[in-house]
Amino acid sequence: MTQSSSARIVAVPGRVRVFSVVDDARPEPEVVGEHTDWGAASEAELSMGFARGDEACLQEVFRRLAPLIYTIAYRALDSSSDGEEITQDVFVSAWRARDNYQVEKGSLSGWLIGITRHRIADRQRARGRDLRLVQAVTNTSDVQVQPETLSTLIDRIVLTEEIGRLPHPRGSILQLAFWEGRSYPQIAEQLDLPLGTVKSHARRALRHLRTQLTEVTSWPT
Amino acid sequence: MAHLSPDRLADSALGIADPLTAAEKNHLASCAECRSELGELSRIVDLGRQPEHVTPQRVPTDAIWQSIQVQLASQATAPATTEPSAEPPPAPPTIAELPRRTPRLRSWFLVAAAAVLGLIIGAGITTVAVRDRVEVTSSTSLEPLPGQTGQGTAELLRDRGRPELRVQIDAPPRPDRYREVWLINTDGQRMYPLGVLPDDGRATYPLPPALASQLEGFNIVDVSIEPYDGDPAHSRESQVRGVLPA
Ligand SMILES: [Zn+2]
Repeated sequence: MTQSSSARIVAVPGRVRVFSVVDDARPEPEVVGEHTDWGAASEAELSMGFARGDEACLQEVFRRLAPLIYTIAYRALDSSSDGEEITQDVFVSAWRARDNYQVEKGSLSGWLIGITRHRIADRQRARGRDLRLVQAVTNTSDVQVQPETLSTLIDRIVLTEEIGRLPHPRGSILQLAFWEGRSYPQIAEQLDLPLGTVKSHARRALRHLRTQLTEVTSWPT
Repeated sequence: MAHLSPDRLADSALGIADPLTAAEKNHLASCAECRSELGELSRIVDLGRQPEHVTPQRVPTDAIWQSIQVQLASQATAPATTEPSAEPPPAPPTIAELPRRTPRLRSWFLVAAAAVLGLIIGAGITTVAVRDRVEVTSSTSLEPLPGQTGQGTAELLRDRGRPELRVQIDAPPRPDRYREVWLINTDGQRMYPLGVLPDDGRATYPLPPALASQLEGFNIVDVSIEPYDGDPAHSRESQVRGVLPA
């Protein structure tokens, strides 16, 4: 993400402008403010920097969340070009509408996922319209396979991310149980932990996932 | 009795709970709150068993980031920049968005943005000025659809290397209608609008860059009859149609 010759965009209140397009040997610009290293910032710190309009912050938010947003759009629309366009749309419109993001209402990732959901739904509606139209025009009548609902797909992707992010041994326990179909006694043996400990980790992990899923996918609209 | 404890509900959903007691079963039967919580936890266990992994290495983040920068930069240099708060996230469609009748084709923008940044250098240079005349590479006759009159031809050209479609039709349009030329994919799912056909029935259209070297399945040439209703979509009424050889 450190393009040495890319356009540098600097935020000023209410608008964005190109600051410099010349080669820049410095690895990253010095950021005015408390943070010089967004790479190490917590999500809460990033959310606040984003809301303040810090351009370097947008880049870090993009670095962390673009793969998630892209994967949701790509899987929902089954098209890499649609995945790219939606991802681009989401970050551009989120940046332009950043005044609408309120830190106290929920996480930034949840807000971005909410925008993604709207964009995908729009695209699916348009596509359905086009598909019906072309079928009417060409007299083809392919049966459209009913896709998995968008919210279920988003939940699955978010859950996979959250499970992958759980600390050890909670993460290993849930991955073995959920993704590899192991029984809890098998997991206890494999990780050399008492069965009761394994079960109690699994229970807490599930309750954590429940909280995270609500936090991330139910941004008030 | 009181609600089931969060631990008890989680264990039930995970299938690691001791069997529910008669009192717990009775409570679940009568308490919508506990049933709904157990339902959500069970749903999470179910979805958690069907992982959908994000693979960052497969995501073209550099290209997307470049496009975002171009878009934000071009917006900033536009004379009338709107306030960021003027556009809430689920933005209503704007006039500028209306012509997007074939949404997936918008990835042209990514190409355009890359070109702006000089990432695509020299593309097409070799073909410029190599040919100085128009060359017909393939053609088809255009036949009327049931209930329609008219006949014509559609020819795929290279004009000094540039791909174009030339259409000629011998019948005029109805007075209260105009005509539009389309390329429809044989998959029956996608189409490009090429442009309005003048009343004399003759016009030449540049092809979308994506089809510059091959038609990629967009072999059906269709001429539609359009009412003056401002709707950019195909009217579903076609006058003539033909299929270019693949
Ligand atoms: Zn209850």
